[in-house]
Formats: sequence, structure tokens, C-alpha cells
Amino acid sequence: MLFNSSVFALFFAAFLPLYLACRRHVAIRNLLLIAASYVFYGWWDPRFLILVAISTAVDYVAALGAAGEPVRHADLLKSAAFLTVATVVSLACAPHDLWLWQPVALGMLAAGAAIAAIVRVPERGRRKYWLMLSLTTNLGILAFFKYFNFFVGSAAAALAALGFEPNAPHFSIILPVGLSFYTFQAISRTIDSYRGQYRPRNSIVNYAAFHAFFPQLVAGPIERAAHLMPQFETVRPFDAKLAGSGALLFAWGLYQKIVIADNVAPIADAVFGAPAGQSAGATLAAVLAFTVQIYCDFCGYSNMARGLARILGFDLMSNFNLPYFARTPSEFWQRWHISLSRWLRDYLYISLGGNRLGRFNTYRNLMVTMLLGGLWHGASWTFVAWGGFHGAIQVVYRALGIDGVIERTRFLTPRGVAIHGACWLVTMILVCIGWILFRAHTFADAVTVTANLFGTQGYEDGNFRRLAGYVAPLAAVEIYQRASGKLEFLTLGPFLVRYTMCAVLVLTLFAFGARGTHEFIYFDF
Amino acid sequence: MLGGAALLAYTLGLAEAYFRVLDPQPLMPRYVTGTPWGVRGNIPNARYRNHTEEVDVEYRINSQGLRADRDYPVQKPPGTCRVAVFGDSFFFGIELDRRDSFAGQLERRLEERSPRIEVLNFSVGGFGTAEMLRTFEGFGRRFGADAVVFSWDDSDLQDNVRSGLFRVDSGRLVAANAEYLPGVKTLDWLMQYRVYRLIADHSELYAFVREQSERLVKEMLRRARRSDAVGGESRNDARAAQDGSDGAQSGGANGGEDAAPVPADDRKRQALLDLSSDILLRSRDEVESSGADFYLVEIPFKLSRTRFRSGVDVLPAAVRSQLNVVYTYPALSRAARPGLELYYESGQGHLTPTGVSVLVDEAVKSLASSPRLAACLAAAPQG
Repeated sequence: MLFNSSVFALFFAAFLPLYLACRRHVAIRNLLLIAASYVFYGWWDPRFLILVAISTAVDYVAALGAAGEPVRHADLLKSAAFLTVATVVSLACAPHDLWLWQPVALGMLAAGAAIAAIVRVPERGRRKYWLMLSLTTNLGILAFFKYFNFFVGSAAAALAALGFEPNAPHFSIILPVGLSFYTFQAISRTIDSYRGQYRPRNSIVNYAAFHAFFPQLVAGPIERAAHLMPQFETVRPFDAKLAGSGALLFAWGLYQKIVIADNVAPIADAVFGAPAGQSAGATLAAVLAFTVQIYCDFCGYSNMARGLARILGFDLMSNFNLPYFARTPSEFWQRWHISLSRWLRDYLYISLGGNRLGRFNTYRNLMVTMLLGGLWHGASWTFVAWGGFHGAIQVVYRALGIDGVIERTRFLTPRGVAIHGACWLVTMILVCIGWILFRAHTFADAVTVTANLFGTQGYEDGNFRRLAGYVAPLAAVEIYQRASGKLEFLTLGPFLVRYTMCAVLVLTLFAFGARGTHEFIYFDF
Repeated sequence: MLGGAALLAYTLGLAEAYFRVLDPQPLMPRYVTGTPWGVRGNIPNARYRNHTEEVDVEYRINSQGLRADRDYPVQKPPGTCRVAVFGDSFFFGIELDRRDSFAGQLERRLEERSPRIEVLNFSVGGFGTAEMLRTFEGFGRRFGADAVVFSWDDSDLQDNVRSGLFRVDSGRLVAANAEYLPGVKTLDWLMQYRVYRLIADHSELYAFVREQSERLVKEMLRRARRSDAVGGESRNDARAAQDGSDGAQSGGANGGEDAAPVPADDRKRQALLDLSSDILLRSRDEVESSGADFYLVEIPFKLSRTRFRSGVDVLPAAVRSQLNVVYTYPALSRAARPGLELYYESGQGHLTPTGVSVLVDEAVKSLASSPRLAACLAAAPQG
């Protein structure tokens, strides 16, 4: 179910009154949230609810164990019961795939065996095994559904290059929507529990509601348990002001998605779909269009998610903070997809040693983190290369100490404006080059697009005017947000100003919103 | 209370200004009402305008509900020959001055053969063949035309079902509903208020809301029928909205479907084709029994500026062979080139004067072989 669809509007209109009716009863409210979230997710394909349930059931007990809490039989039973009910419901909605009960049953047996083995481990070392159970389950699901064909295909290609003729299997595997998001969120909770940064509770209902919370289930933000989980354990506030600001945030996200991203997408699609022979102007416009599209598509989704959650009384973390104002690549990653950046920093970069082990190891850690970050985005070497590119430029910037120069230079001086401006321009160019790798289907396409950018003919061919028409209002808003330091500009100023802005926003949604329902780019990740 | 009213007024003013400045809307009010013969007709003596990025057109309806600057005597004056035109918005001449409309251009071309020739335009936006036939039976045949021209585009297939004016019973066409007046009561009620007419004629906000509402209704209908439809090429959305709504304000009772309006289901498809075929054959019979020759002019479906789809190919060959079909698709395809607009690309996407002239060329060629028109012209005094 997409936020920008009429089906979702009907779903939310039906859900909200029920939610408000039971919002003061935490358990009932959370049961309703679970049901709604499973309907929301299952609308796409009910079979994959089983994966959500597996991740939920395993992480419920794994986090308890990883935190050193006693994992009681009651917890194991709750976990097994939850998975069984979810599987039955899922298969009831997908009666042609009843055979799925067999792998689920096998998985439950395997998990049961693993748990039986873990509880035999001496208590002092047991936590580590609970953590491994969570990592194995979530990363196993991720590896199979997202990367199996990629790794097998890549290995086969490598062997073929060495003269072997491997008979590599290739399965028709559907990538479940949002898999990378909810598995990473589950892993983070278990790791935080293991590290003692979060103390899990014995309520699978609360945890399942957190795990499947529909505003952020399929495309984040990848929340931390310490921030979001307590909200599922308390009655959430609801008032008109909060709901109003949530609705405005949703509307702004919808604007970013359907007015900007979906309308500039055809400019990019036309070139990236068939890059050969495109003029320099059309290619430049396409690269710029995709730069805008990917931002507005994902930031728009995040704002809609946060807006919906706020209407329900929940606070989700901000996932974007004006990333295209970044003056260095590392600043870009502090502002872009913040929840993923922090996840990679906290659970990968720092775990590898961060910047504590000398210059070379810092660079190595940066590269590894960014390469894996690239791979997280998709099972393709172009994504890996995109991550590697961002890792490399961060290494170069770090080696040259450019971040330090910017920190030491005051902006409001002629020299400061020149330095900050130049750094911003260079960073934006690098980010745009990175997006070529990200968007291109193959390396050959990426090379063609890059070469076309420097073609000598046809700069006037670009659809720049149309692009500027969509970008100019966004740029004006973001400059204001940057200058004022307030991201939620729709709630600022006197009533008439706020009212006028909201009215214009709504009118623009109707007048310029792209026709049809377009999926979000990050649903593929 | 006062604050609420002020806020509402401010909102409406802001919205109107928004559309005028940032997203100008085509202003295309329709002036239709009910007729004694049970289908919609143009409001007699109406004067109104359409304004789009490309055109600014005035429509004048005579007291008989025809698009004309004068009334026509019902009894054909001696020495005068008549061609009667029945169609939807394409033949009515939406987005066209009267002289550029199909009827206007046809009249000028035929006047080259004889100055005593009149082309009477009975078209009403949104009509399907069933409504054209009902208008001919109830009103048009009195005018004693020597040749009668019906328009046809493939959306008429669905329109003829939707109107419910006829049905096929045991293989025979029988009259069904006595009337088909979608939204007319509401529009009649609204049109009595000057403020409504003022808004409909001049408000871009109103035009936008109406357009979006029609699009929404049409989309819901289309989705409801999606499982049945085959084909997928999009008709110009705006034009489809103009013709495709059941709302009387849009004047549209016809299909204007986005997809080719032929169900995939063989039984339904056959029923649809049978109904329209029988209505067309009945139209021919009625026209010929009135002493006129019957012609059917194809309105091709626009796919792009240079690509079209035939409007009549959907009809069974056996039916086409019994009708004087004026095939315009080949001529329109030959005339098309990237720098030439045969259909408008803003507004509601109807034919431009150039596009109409292609149709008229073909129609004139066909009408040249009309025995009754030829006989009339031969009998009419020259000069």
C-alpha cells in the first residue's frame, strides 16, 4: 500500500477512528496497530507477512537473551504462537501458497533447536549466541531474498572469467518490500540490547507493533528501540495541534513525492533508460533531475511517515536534514538518510574500530562501511561502486582535512563565503556523479551517461526550464529552512501566512500532482 | 461565524488567483438542457464562450437549439438544399468558431457547388449515436434534409449502452428508456441563477474542480470496467473528460474512454457491437425513410500528434458495408506531420480547423455521390 494512493487514504480513514477509540488502552491499541500494519504490508503480498513475523518472533526472544534477561518458556511460547498465528493469517490470504507452511515449520524447528542449544550454553557466554541468532535470522533472510542471485551470479561470472563453466542456480526470488529496513531495525534493537543500551521488555504485542509500525515499516526511518519502543509502551498524546502538524508534514512529503519527484522522473528516465546518443543537455538535465527525484522521493516518504506517526502521537526520527546544502561528503552523509548513516556508523564503522586505530585503518573502515552501505541499497555492483565512490571521496576529504578547514572558517566573511561556496559546489558535483552510478543499470550505461555530459553538442536540448519550475519552489523553501534553522516551515509565522502556505500547498498537490500512483524508489531497497 | 465566512472568501479568492496565475484552466462551460424528445439539447438562444490557451471561441445557439446565428424554417424553402449534421462535441465544434466547425466548413465547401445550400448543425457535446438518432427522430427529420451526416468514434460503443435509449431484444433493436438526461435537472436548477452562470463562465477554480471531479468519476468508472476493457492507448485526458462524463455540465454522455471501449469478454463485446450496429442501421433506415441519404463520418482517435487510430474499424465489416462510411483516418494520417496540430493540445483536445478541414474534404467527396443531394442541387436555381 502506497501513501500516495487512494487505497491508503481509505485505509487510514477507516483506521484512524478505531485507533482514536482505543488509543488509551496500550495493549488493545498495539493489537490494532499490528493488525493495521499487517494489512498495510500484506496488501502488497500477504505471503511476505511471514518474514515480518519470523523477524519479530526471533528478535523478541533474541533481544531478551542478548540483554541477559531470562528467556522464559512463556516468552518462547508467545513467540511461537505469534509466528503461528501470523503464518495462518498470511496463508489464509494466499491460499495458493499453502506449501509455505512447510519451510515455516522447518524454520521453527531449526530455531527451536538453536534456542535449545543456546540455553545449554553457560549463562556468562549465552548473550552472544542470542545476538548471533538474531543476526543469522535477519541477515539470512536478507541474504537469501535480496542477494542470493547477485552473489551466485557474481561468483559464476568470476569463475567463468577464470575459464570454469559453473552451472549456477538462479531462482526467481521476489524482493520483499522494505526487507532491508525492518531487518536492520530488528538487528539494531538486539545489538542495543546486547550492548546494554536498551532493556527489552516481556511484551511481544508491544514489540510486534514496534516492529511492524506501518508508517515506517517499508522505507524507514530505521528507528532505534531506545527512541521508539518506549512510545509503544505508553499512551500516546493526541490533540488537534499535534495531528495538524502531522498532517502538514504528511502534505509536505506528499508534495515532494507527487509534485516534484514524480514530475521530474520522466526527464531522468528518458536518458537513463536509453543513454546512448543522448545530447549533453538532455543528459545533464537527467542527472540533475534524478538528483532532485531521489531526494524528494525518499525525503518525501520519510516526511509522510513522520507525519502519519505524529498524527497517531508517535515521534519518528528525522531522516533528512537539507542534504544538498552539505559542503563535504561526510556532512552529506550526516544529512542524508540519517537513520541508515547512523546505523552504519554505530554498528559497522565503530564496530570495525572507527577512527581509533590509526589513519590507514580509519580509511579502511570508511571504505568498508560505505561499500556495504552501497550494497545495502541493492544487489548490484553499481550500488557497491556508488558506495565505494562515496567512501573514496570521504577518504580524500579526510586526508586533505577539508572538514576541518570548513569548521575553522567563519561563513559570514568574503573568504568564508568563497570557501563554503566552493566546497558546496564541489560536493554537489561529486554527489551528482555518484547518482549516475546509483541510477545507471550497468557500468557501461554509467560510462555513457558520464561521457555524454561532456559531449560538445546539444546543451540547449535539456529540459531545464521544466526542471527549474519544479525545483525553484523547493529551493526557496530549503533556503528558508536553512536560514531559519527550522525544518517544519509550515507551522511558522502568523496564522494568515501559515494558512496561505497550506492552502497553496494543497492547491499545488491537486493542480500539479503527477497523475497515477508511482512507487517509491527506496521500496526496492 | 463572520471569521469563518471571511476565511472561506479568502480561500476561494486565493484559489482563483492561484489558478489564474500558476495553472490557467480552460474555461469551457456547457449550456445543455433537456428536450421534449428525451435527450439533451443545446440551451436555445444561449451565448457563451470557451477560453483555452489556444482558443477563445464564442458559441451562439439559435432558438431551435442549433449552433447557428439564425433560425431555420422547419419547412425547407423552395430551391434550398439541406445537409443535417448530428454528432458530439467534435461536430458541435467545441474549441472552434462556427465557421471553422465541421458544419461551417462543410457549408462553405458545398456552397462552392450551390449557394442555396444549408448545413444545419444538430450536434450536442457528449452525444452517442443513440442520442443522435433520437434527436433525428424527434426533431431533425422535420427539417427535410437531403443528406444527413452522423459522426462516429469508437467511444460511441459505450455511450450507446450507457444511454439505455435502445436495446437489442431477440436480435431486434427496440426502444428502451424514454429519456436519457444525465445531470440535466441539476444543471437546469443551477443555470437559473445568474451567479452560477457567472462562475461557470469565468471561474478557473470552478473549471478545475469540475474537471477533476469528472476525471475522478471517469476513473472510477474505468476501473470498474477495467477487467472488461482491451487496448490501452490513452485518449487525450481532457477531451475524454469533456465527452466522457455523465454530467450534463460537461455535456458528455458518451464514452470518452481511455481504453479502446471494447470488452475482452466475447459475449459482452458482441452485445456492444450488436447494439451500436443496429442503432447505426436503424439511423440509416430512418434517414432514408425521411427522404435523405445517410453518411457516417469517422472521427479517428488521437494517439499522438502524428498517430491516430481508426474510429470505425471496430465496427463489423458487414455493417460498414451497408453504410456510407466516410473514412477519414487515412487522410488524417497522411496530413499529419510533427509541426502541424490536427487536434488541440490544451483545452479538451478537439480537432483544430485544419483537422476538421481534412474531415470535410473527405465528407465533400462522399457527399458528391449523394443521389438526393445531387437531385436537389440539380433542381435548385443557380446563382
